Amino acid sequence: MLRHKICIFGYGNHGKFISRGLDVDNFDITIVEADEENYKNAQNDGFDNVYLIDVTDDDEITNLTLSQDTQLVCVMDDEHLNVFLTLSLRSLYPDIYILSISDSINVTKKLKMAGANKVIDLYEVSANKIYNILDRPVATELLESFVLNKNGITFKEMVIPKGSFLHGKMVDDIDFASYGVLLVGMIDEEMGHSFVFITAGIEHKLDSGDTMVCIGYDDKLKEFERLITKPKV
Amino acid sequence: MRDKLLSLMLSLHASSRYQKSKAFVRGVLFDDTNRLKRIFDISIIFLVITSVFILIYEVNHTVPRWLDNYDIFVVSFIFAIEYILRLWVHNDISNLVYSEYDDALFLKKEFDIYRVLKKGIKEKLQYMITPSAIVDLLAILPAYRPLRILRVFILFRVFKLLRYTKSINQFVEVIVNKKFELLTLLFLLLFIVFTSGMAIYILEAGKNENITSLFDGLYWAIVTISTVGYGDISPVTDVGRAISILIIISGIAMISFVTSVIVSAFSERLSELKDYRIIERLNKQESFMIICGYGQLTKMFFRQDRFDIGAYVILESDINQVNQATKDGYIAINESASSFHSLSKFNYEKSNITLMALTSDDVENIYITLNAKSISKKIKVIARVNNPENIKKFKSAGADELLMPNLIANTMIYTAITQPTMYKAMHAILTGKSLANIDEVHVHNSHGLIDRTIDEIDFKEHKLLFMGVKRGSEFIFNPEGDFVIEAYDVMLVMGKKISIEYFKTLHEGRKDA
Repeated sequence: MLRHKICIFGYGNHGKFISRGLDVDNFDITIVEADEENYKNAQNDGFDNVYLIDVTDDDEITNLTLSQDTQLVCVMDDEHLNVFLTLSLRSLYPDIYILSISDSINVTKKLKMAGANKVIDLYEVSANKIYNILDRPVATELLESFVLNKNGITFKEMVIPKGSFLHGKMVDDIDFASYGVLLVGMIDEEMGHSFVFITAGIEHKLDSGDTMVCIGYDDKLKEFERLITKPKV
Repeated sequence: MRDKLLSLMLSLHASSRYQKSKAFVRGVLFDDTNRLKRIFDISIIFLVITSVFILIYEVNHTVPRWLDNYDIFVVSFIFAIEYILRLWVHNDISNLVYSEYDDALFLKKEFDIYRVLKKGIKEKLQYMITPSAIVDLLAILPAYRPLRILRVFILFRVFKLLRYTKSINQFVEVIVNKKFELLTLLFLLLFIVFTSGMAIYILEAGKNENITSLFDGLYWAIVTISTVGYGDISPVTDVGRAISILIIISGIAMISFVTSVIVSAFSERLSELKDYRIIERLNKQESFMIICGYGQLTKMFFRQDRFDIGAYVILESDINQVNQATKDGYIAINESASSFHSLSKFNYEKSNITLMALTSDDVENIYITLNAKSISKKIKVIARVNNPENIKKFKSAGADELLMPNLIANTMIYTAITQPTMYKAMHAILTGKSLANIDEVHVHNSHGLIDRTIDEIDFKEHKLLFMGVKRGSEFIFNPEGDFVIEAYDVMLVMGKKISIEYFKTLHEGRKDA
C-alpha cells in the first residue's frame, strides 16, 4: 500500500504530537527543524528522516527534494517563521498542499495570503467550546470525549469501496444503527464535492467512491469498514 | 450592680430575638440588596425633600398648622429614631462583653465590666463624631421649638441625602487621600491671612474708616486672598496697598496649587473610580462572567459572537492589554485576577459568577482557579490548560470545565491530515455551524418523552440523528430500539438548530398529552 508522504516543519509543541500520531498510523514522515534542540528531540524520539536546516534559505528547502504528492505541515513554534516558511514553500511548490497552524486572527489572514491551503486556528475551537459549555454542557463534554477518543467512541471517515453492498442503496434503506455505528454525514460525489450532514434533510444515494463519516465504538467502526467491502451481508 | 450588668449583657447576647432584631435593623439600614432598605431610603429622601420645601415656602408664606406639626413631629421623630437605631447597630456591646468575659474566664483573670462597657461606649462616641452622624443629629435639632434660629439647621437635612450619593463619598475619599498637601496649604493660607489681617489692622486702623477691628482686617485678608475682592474694605496707605499686592499674588498661586492638587488626585483615581462603577453595575446582575486575561483566546472568544453572553468584565493585569481591549470595544479593568482582593469585590454570594481563566500561563490559571474557589465554591470556573500534563492539577484546584487549546488544535491538525472529510464534519460541529449542532435534550420529570422507547420516537421525521443517552455518569451510545427513556436522562442528538429547537418544544412538559 502506498504510504502518504508528510513533511512536518517544526518539532515543537504541536509538531511533536502530530508526528507521533502520524507515525503510529504508518505515514511516511519527514521532519524539518530550524532549532537544534528540537532537532535532537526528534532524533531521540526515533524519527529517521529529520533535517536541521535554515528554513529562511530557499536553497536548503529545495535540497529537501519534496515530491508533489507530499503534504506540507507548517507548525513552527515561531509564528513569524511559520508565515515566512509558508510563503517560501508556496513559491517553490505552487501546487503542493500546505497546512499551517495559526495562533491569532491576524496570523490566519497572513497565512492564507502566503498561500496555505488550510489554516487551523489554535484557539477557534476552544473559543467555541466556551459558548458550548455555557449553552449545552453535557453535549460539549461528550463531544470532546469523542474527538479525543477518550471512551472508545470516536468519529471515522470511510470511502465506500467498489463492489460494496452499499452501492446504489438509499441512505434511508440502510439501518446503520444495527451495525453499531451512526452515519453523521458524507460527501456524495454525485451532488458535488462538499460535505453534507445527514440531518440536512437531503436524500442520498450511496455510491462507491462516496466518503462517509460515521461515529461509533472503535471496534464497531473497524468491523463496519471491513463489512462494506463485501458485496452482500 | 456589676453582676446585674454582666448578667443583662450576657442574656442580651444569648437572646436570639435581640440578635435577630439587631440584624434586621442592620439589614434595613445597610444591606444594599435588602428590599426594605430601598423603601426606607426612599421614605427618608421624601421626608428630607418635603421638610426643606416647607422651610423655603415659609420664607414668604404662612405655613398651615398641620404642615408645621408634620415637619416638627413626624419628620424629626423619624429622624431621631433613625439616629438612635444607627447608633444602636454601630457596634455590639453585649457581644463585646461576652467575648471579653469568655477570654477572662479562660485566662482565669478578673473581669472588669466597666472597662469593657467604657470601650463599647467609646466606640459609640467615636461614631457620633463622624460627619454623617453629626449631620443626622443636626437634622433632628430644629424640632426644639424655642430655638427658632435652629430652623436653618433643616438645611442639614439636605446633607442627609449625601448618604445616598456614592460619588460624594468618592470625592471625599479623594480629598482625604491628599490630606497632607491640602493641610499644608491650609496652614500656609491661615498664616498669610492672619499676618496680613493683623498688619492691615495695625497699619490702617484709624487712618481707614472701614477698618475698626481686627475682624475687619481678617475679613479683608480673606476677601483679597481669595481674589473675590468685594471692595467694601480697601487699603488707603501705600504700605497697605503693598501688602495687598503680596496677598493677591500669593492668593492666585495658592488657588492654582489647590486646584492642581485636587485635579491630579482625581486623575490618579479616575480609572479606579471607573472600574468601581463597572464592578458595581455587575454586582447588581443575577449572573455575569469574569474573563481573566485579554489574550488570543479571549479575542477569539469575542470574535465568535455566537450568542449574547450577558454581563461580563475582562480582568487584565497588563495595562496595555486593558487599553487594547477598551479600544476594541470591550469592558475591561486593570486588576489581577489572582489577587484575593480583586475577586472578592464581586458579589459572589448573590450572583452566579462564571469565571474564565484564559491566560497563556498555566501557573497563573491554576492560581486564579484556586483564588476563585477559595472565595466561593459557588463560582464556576472554566480554565484554560496549555500543557495537558497539568490537567490533574487543574482538577484538584477545583476547575469545573477545562479548555485545552493545544491538545484540541493538535487533534484537529492530525485529523485534517489523516481524515480530511471527517475534519470538515468535526470542525463544523465544534464551531457550532447551524447545520450540525450536537445538542442535549434534558428529560425533566414531567417531560413528554418519559417511558417512551427509542423506536417510538421518530427522530428521522424530525430530521435528527439520535446518538445516545447520558444516564447518571454513564453514556449509552446508540441504544437498542426497546430502550426506555427515563426522567433525568440527557439525550444527545444532532441536527439543524431549528430541528432541535422544534423537537425540544414539542416534548416539553407534555407527559399527559
